[in-house]
Amino acid sequence: MVAITEMTNWAVDLIDVRKTYGKAIQALRGVNIQVGRGEIFGLLGPNGAGKSTLVKIMMTVVRPTQALGTILGRPLGHRGKLAATGYLPENHSFPGYLTGAKLLDYYAALSKVPRSVRGPRAGELLERLGLSRWGSTRIDKYSKGMLQRLGIAQALMNEPELVVLDEPTDGLDPVGRRDVRNLLLDLKQRGNTVFLNSHLLSELEMVCDRVSILVNGLVARQGTLSELTERTVEYEITCVSDVASLAGKLLRLGATVAGPVVTLPGHDIAKVNEAVDCLRSANVAIHAITPKRVGLEDILVEAMGGQDAKPSATPPTSPPAARPAGPHGDS
Amino acid sequence: MQLWAIILDGFREALDRKIFWVLIGLSTMIALAMISISFEEDKITFFFGMADAETGRFNPLSALGRSNVVGLVVYFLLDALLAWVGIVLMVVATAGMFPNFLRHGGVDVVLSKPITRSRLFLYKYLAGLVFVFVQAGYFVVMTFLVMGLRWGVWSPGYLLAAPLLVLLFSYIFCISVLVGVKTRSTVAAVLLTVGAWMLSAMVTQAPQMFEVMPSLKNNTRIYTAIRVLSWIPPKTADFPYVAAKWAGAGTSSDVLPMDFAKTPGGPSSDDLRRAKEIELRELEKNPFYSIGSSLLFEAVILLLAMRTFVRRDY
Repeated sequence: MVAITEMTNWAVDLIDVRKTYGKAIQALRGVNIQVGRGEIFGLLGPNGAGKSTLVKIMMTVVRPTQALGTILGRPLGHRGKLAATGYLPENHSFPGYLTGAKLLDYYAALSKVPRSVRGPRAGELLERLGLSRWGSTRIDKYSKGMLQRLGIAQALMNEPELVVLDEPTDGLDPVGRRDVRNLLLDLKQRGNTVFLNSHLLSELEMVCDRVSILVNGLVARQGTLSELTERTVEYEITCVSDVASLAGKLLRLGATVAGPVVTLPGHDIAKVNEAVDCLRSANVAIHAITPKRVGLEDILVEAMGGQDAKPSATPPTSPPAARPAGPHGDS
Repeated sequence: MQLWAIILDGFREALDRKIFWVLIGLSTMIALAMISISFEEDKITFFFGMADAETGRFNPLSALGRSNVVGLVVYFLLDALLAWVGIVLMVVATAGMFPNFLRHGGVDVVLSKPITRSRLFLYKYLAGLVFVFVQAGYFVVMTFLVMGLRWGVWSPGYLLAAPLLVLLFSYIFCISVLVGVKTRSTVAAVLLTVGAWMLSAMVTQAPQMFEVMPSLKNNTRIYTAIRVLSWIPPKTADFPYVAAKWAGAGTSSDVLPMDFAKTPGGPSSDDLRRAKEIELRELEKNPFYSIGSSLLFEAVILLLAMRTFVRRDY
């Protein structure tokens, strides 16, 4: 088993991970997740889905009831590979008596980073995360945002191949969130793998290559963002003037009309063309044609068994400038 | 590297506690108070001669008297003060160490590091002893220097009291760790540790009942049960005798004023004689029996605590 998995190129290859608390609470019921090397992978799901439990099993904080698979090509809990992994837990609590720099030094020493490397790297990371002025300040003086930045810094002290971040933008202001996003993209550019657990779907949508949706301890959906969101659920034709006079014709195509906006449910491009022909024949100028795709939120709600999976109000993918009439909206 | 990092962290945590500095301050005050004491042929003077007391039975300047001076420090400072009051304070100071360590979000990062849980537990335990090692080392070295420089009594064996105090504390600390790991509560750790300590002191001293009530020896069952039970807990009450033996001091009775038995309401001469006999027997005991059996108790408690620590989800 190990020999086969070592040959695979997955950074994380979890097979049939199960966790039962006590005798009755099944937190994970056979999770299979694969994360490619160099990917940013997002784990999402509703509260109580088992996301944090899964992350903790990966990091040996929680002992699985059953788990196969590998992390960086070695079985879960392999010490050498833990040394090559960085971890930021959710709601972390660092010892207040340490300064930022000493905390980084302490955790890096536990990761067996040589002393000669620790000092310069701590300085570099504090700088990178905007904490260079606070390196010699006690942690109990830090704000929540600063603590979060410090937590991310400690996860990177060992120059990990794999970084596991549980709610990394928790407590950060918009600028801090943007900085973390840029940091994640930078890590990806350097070839690091990032495993991200976040409830902020917009954050995940912006940086993740692939996501997995965990519901009730099982993977409900998994794939690249484009795979999951490629379904177009409706087209919106925005005209420059009110088209109420054409409502009768448009209704026959299944469209709904609201002022200058014509909405066509489904993804039948022929109907879109017919609607455009109808509008153009009445000399109505078309401002934009926007295909509405499902967002992560819709997919999540759908995966949870919700009935209200509606297209998210994603901004139009076509430029806002007036476009010539035609059926070809950007996809 | 990992051991050193955790020990250093334990030291930093100790330095952060107010009680650490309070104890250092107390040790310094005691050392300063000792400086104000001097010995003459038949009396001890206090506060640079402002007050004095007759030594009665011993001449502090004689060879025997010097061992009694060491005895004074061992019995009245090390045992009565540090080994009881000091250790209670140190139990309070260190009881939160494991519950704090096991807080959600605190332990997660450490557990994700490339270190086995059992090793992490042991290193953390050793780090907890750093607190008492520094305190005991400071107190013993300070008093050793005062005895030598001020009183001219150099007793290198007395320095062994420092590791002995660490050992004594470790017998009790293991209980605190077990309770801390099981309950994650500092208050429970303090209360149950002090309770267990008192209980163990009573149980280990139980065989002395046979001195007071020799008739109990006739009941073989009770005699055997008490003997066996007294062997199990850590022998914390043996501490002053082992320290005194290694420091070359006599019994505590040797340093009592001659007319102590005549104090109204005080012990009779017979009581004192019997107490001295018991003390002499304690001094004759092999220290390694006391240390070895206590370490065995500590090992069992630590294994139980480690088992809980290793098997738990955080």
